[in-house]
Amino acid sequence: MNAQVQAEAVIVGAEIGAGHDGAAELVLTLRYENGATAPVVLDAETGFSLMRNCGAESLADLAGQSWRNLLEGLE
Amino acid sequence: MMFDVLIRNGLVVDGSGEAGFAADVAVKDGRIAQIGRIDGPARQVIDAAGRVVAPGFIDPHTHFDVQLLWDGAARPALSHGVTSIVPGNCSLSLAPLRAADRPAVVGMFQQIEEMPPEAFTTAFDWTWEDFAGYRAAIERNLAINVAPLVGHSVIRQWVMGEAAQARAATPGEIAAMQDLLRECLQAGAVGLSTSFVDVDARGRPVPSRFAQFAELDALAAVLGEFGRMLQIVPEFYDTDLTIARIDQLAELSLRHGVPTTFSPVFDSASTPDNVPRTLARVEEQFARGARVWPQMQTRPIDISFSLLRPSLFFARLPSWIRVLRKPLDERIAALSDAETADRLVADVGPDGGARMMGELIVRGGDAAPTALAGRTLGEIAAERGESPARALITLSLEHGLDVAFLAANRGHDDTGRIGAMLAHPLVHIGASDGGAHLASFATYGDTGYLFSEFVRKAGALSLEQAVRKITADTADIWGFKDRGRLAPGLAADIVVFDPETIARGEERAVFDMPGDGMRYVRDAIGVDTVLVNGAVAYAGGAYTDARAGAVLA
Repeated sequence: MNAQVQAEAVIVGAEIGAGHDGAAELVLTLRYENGATAPVVLDAETGFSLMRNCGAESLADLAGQSWRNLLEGLE
Repeated sequence: MMFDVLIRNGLVVDGSGEAGFAADVAVKDGRIAQIGRIDGPARQVIDAAGRVVAPGFIDPHTHFDVQLLWDGAARPALSHGVTSIVPGNCSLSLAPLRAADRPAVVGMFQQIEEMPPEAFTTAFDWTWEDFAGYRAAIERNLAINVAPLVGHSVIRQWVMGEAAQARAATPGEIAAMQDLLRECLQAGAVGLSTSFVDVDARGRPVPSRFAQFAELDALAAVLGEFGRMLQIVPEFYDTDLTIARIDQLAELSLRHGVPTTFSPVFDSASTPDNVPRTLARVEEQFARGARVWPQMQTRPIDISFSLLRPSLFFARLPSWIRVLRKPLDERIAALSDAETADRLVADVGPDGGARMMGELIVRGGDAAPTALAGRTLGEIAAERGESPARALITLSLEHGLDVAFLAANRGHDDTGRIGAMLAHPLVHIGASDGGAHLASFATYGDTGYLFSEFVRKAGALSLEQAVRKITADTADIWGFKDRGRLAPGLAADIVVFDPETIARGEERAVFDMPGDGMRYVRDAIGVDTVLVNGAVAYAGGAYTDARAGAVLA
């Protein structure tokens, strides 16, 4: 693993949450290179797009994925 | 003196937060005339023995803008004891709006409120363009009080046309927006709403989201001339961005002397730091002298879905995701294939989905038989001799996949945590979204839930605290000077309710929107009588013909 990859945020958790509009949404936990973690909430369309673009068939498959890879998958 | 109404023998909880006391309440000419032991005659006497007599509840975040044009009671809000509502939130109002811009703004309303198109084409004559015209249109038939906000998006649309959804405003355009906002405030608007989140029917950001901070600052300066409210929807899904918006609101509040409020703010197990961090920053800004009120709803958040669209509810089940991602015809074919269905059922585990799906509720209002509405999938599956997962598939297939399911209490549902948050002195109870999300969930009865869940069940608030939170506190935050309290001389907005039973009913589907449009509602429980400006507007489970509601200035 090179330094650039190590310096990227990584998904360390994925859960299903309840959104304001009553839809299920994807709550990712990102861990940054400095060790800080933060949640990122995605709606269904975005969540499914991310799962598809990084080849994840289930939430469990998202753990360890680079946030950069997920963003590039959205483009 | 002959009183118009005399409410006798009740426990008066006057909105101050002080202990309730036994007294009678007399009403004359729309005002509270006297509180105490009263022997004078009255045209109408209401026996409130065993009941609480309280100020009418105030709902500070609704989207009844359209419904008010054919339903001046904002049903069922009034039946829940709500006597004043604030529509025009989230940057959207029905004025000022040029006729040519109506289709664009109607699309935004349909996106946010899920109002059927017929509501805009068959239910009223659209005769106005300016704010005074909208006010006149709703004033003719009001049974409830209305304190309307004007939407930033429609102000922008009026001044900038199509460019409102394309770019920042020029100095000249900002000045024109200031003039227009001033005109709206003079015509009765109680503030300005804006949004950093909402999208229109095409998925594009609403006009307010193209504004730079200087534009909002200029508009807040006009609000400052009137001491009026700025309401915003921040990026609530991101705590850091929400905190950044709190800081911006604080600057505007301090600079222009205006109150501000933001919503939604909700708690969940997946983001447990969100509310604590948000409230900590609110406390810091209040300590500086800013007024930045976080609005929090009382009700839990449910998840609803059908197999018509992929839902993240199934995101832990790869085989289900693969099937649900298919185009509709292929999805139906796959679900109809016995081998595929067997695999889907097997993948939920040896319990056949009892744990994951057994408590799902069939919602109604869709293609499923009405008799199934409100029942759990586990019950229905048992009757059919199927596992819950199998029943979910077969029931959906039998009705073209148009069967809605609800997973209850999946967010903002930890009563211990939420109760403490609601009791926080800086938390503004609201954010009901009444009149919006019509086909997704019921936005009514949050006040009843406050009493049933957080007063009676959890004891997080006393009866008097809870009443104060949704009456006097709300009136003070918004500057409604003669509302929110029971005291001689104030407006006679009064609710009589049973403190032992007040609650919200079960969610149910009704088809009472124009064009037989469907929405989910909750009936009121334990609310006996509601007076608006001294007139009995609801009693004994029925609305009266009284039309004493007013636009609050």
